[in-house]
Amino acid sequence: MNRVVQTNLIRFILIFLAQIWIFKQITFSLGGVANIHFLIYPMAILLLPIKTSKTILLILAFVLGMTLDMFYDSPGVHAAALVFTAYIRNIVIALLEPFAGYNIDDVPTIKQLSLGWFVSYVSITLFIHIFVYFSIEAFSFVFFFEIFLNTIFSFIVTFIVIIILQFIFRTKY
Amino acid sequence: MNNVIQLFLKFGVHILFVVLEVICFNIIINYNSSQRSVFINSANVYAGKIAEQRAKITDFASLKSQNDSLMHENANLIENMISMEYAEDFIPKSDSTYNQYKLIPATICNSTINLHNNHITLCKGSREGIRKDMGVVSSHQGILGVVRNVSPDFAHVISILNSQSKISCSLKSRFGHGTLVWNNNDPLRMNLESIPKHEKIAYGDTVITSGYSTMFPKGILVGKVESYTIKPGSNSYDIIVKLFNDPINVKYAYVIQNRYGDQQNKLEKEVVDE
Repeated sequence: MNRVVQTNLIRFILIFLAQIWIFKQITFSLGGVANIHFLIYPMAILLLPIKTSKTILLILAFVLGMTLDMFYDSPGVHAAALVFTAYIRNIVIALLEPFAGYNIDDVPTIKQLSLGWFVSYVSITLFIHIFVYFSIEAFSFVFFFEIFLNTIFSFIVTFIVIIILQFIFRTKY
Repeated sequence: MNNVIQLFLKFGVHILFVVLEVICFNIIINYNSSQRSVFINSANVYAGKIAEQRAKITDFASLKSQNDSLMHENANLIENMISMEYAEDFIPKSDSTYNQYKLIPATICNSTINLHNNHITLCKGSREGIRKDMGVVSSHQGILGVVRNVSPDFAHVISILNSQSKISCSLKSRFGHGTLVWNNNDPLRMNLESIPKHEKIAYGDTVITSGYSTMFPKGILVGKVESYTIKPGSNSYDIIVKLFNDPINVKYAYVIQNRYGDQQNKLEKEVVDE
C-alpha cells in the first residue's frame, strides 16, 4: 500500500510539472478555427487508485486545480473543472465496471485493466473535463460553437498524448 | 443534530463537491468582476520563481534568433549612420548646437617645399565645405597654411613656407603678438616679427597662434623660440622660430572651418570701408 501511495504521489507531481513546464507552452491556434490546448493534468486525478476516497479525490483536485490556476492566470477555472471531473470520475468507473468487478488495489491503467476499458474511461472523463473547462473559461454559452470546436480538437491531441504516455510509462500501480 | 451527522455521512462527498465548486466560481467571478490582483496568479513568489527558471532555459534556446534580430538592428543602425552622413549636407544646421571651429580632414595631394613660394594642394574642395581663407593645420601639431583657392574637389593652400604668408602669432604666457613670416630658405625655421622690444621673451618660449585672425583659433602650437635679436634702430625683436612640425613630410591635414569667420570679416571690413 505504501508503494501505491509513493508511486501515485510521484506521478501526481510529475504530471503537474509536465503540464506547467511543457504542455502549457504548446498552445497553438488551428488556423483561427480553434485553439488547441494540451490538458493532460486530469490524468493526475484519473489515474489514482479506483478505491481512493471520494473526499480525498475532491480535495486533491481542488488543490491541483488552484495550483495550476496560479500558472495559467485563470483563478478558479481549472479548479472548478477538475473538481467536477473528480466528482464524475467514480460515476464513470461504476458505469464501466466489468462483470468480475474491480480488485481492491486496481489502478485505472492499461496494464491493470484492458486497453478498451482504459480508452473508454479516459475518453469519457477527458472529454467532459475539457468541455467543462472551455465552458467555464468562456463563462457563457453564447460561444457554444467555439467551445465545441476547441473541445474537439484539444480532446483529440490530448488523448493521443495521454495514450502515448501510457505506453511509455507502464507503471504497475 | 443526529440527522445532520447522518446527512454528512451519507452525502458528505456531494456537499464537499458543491462547496468546492462554489469556492471556485466565487473566485472566478470575483476575479472577472474586479480584475484586482489576487493571490492566485502567476505574480506570486513561488509561481514567479518557477516561471523565471523556465524562462532562463527557454531564453537560452532562443539566443540564436535574438542574435539574428540584434544583427538586423545593427545593420539598420549602420545604414542609418551612412545615410545620415550623406544627408547631413541637406539638413539645416542650428548654429547654437555646433562648435565655432570645425575640422575637416583632408589628405595632401601635392606640396612643394623647395621654392621660395611654396604651395600645398588638398584632395578636398568646396564640396566638403572648404572655403577661401580657411586655416590648415597638420595632423599632429603646427600650422600648414591658408587656403587661397578652392575648386569643387581640390583646395589650393598657401603654405606657411611662402613669402606671402603672414600669420598672427603670440608667445605663450607672454604679452604682445607678432606676425609669423618666412624669409629664409630653411623649411624648419620661420621668423616672428613685430613683437615689441619692451616685452620680455626667453629662449624656448612657445609660439602659438594668437586667434586674432579668423583663420586659426587661439592656441595652436607653432614652434619655439630658437634665438632672437634686436636690429639696431628697430623697435621690435627679430625672432627665429623652430617649427614643431615638419612641413615637408606631412600627409594629412585638417582644414579649420570657423563658423563665425564670415561675420567677423564682414564687420571688420565695414569699419575699414568707413
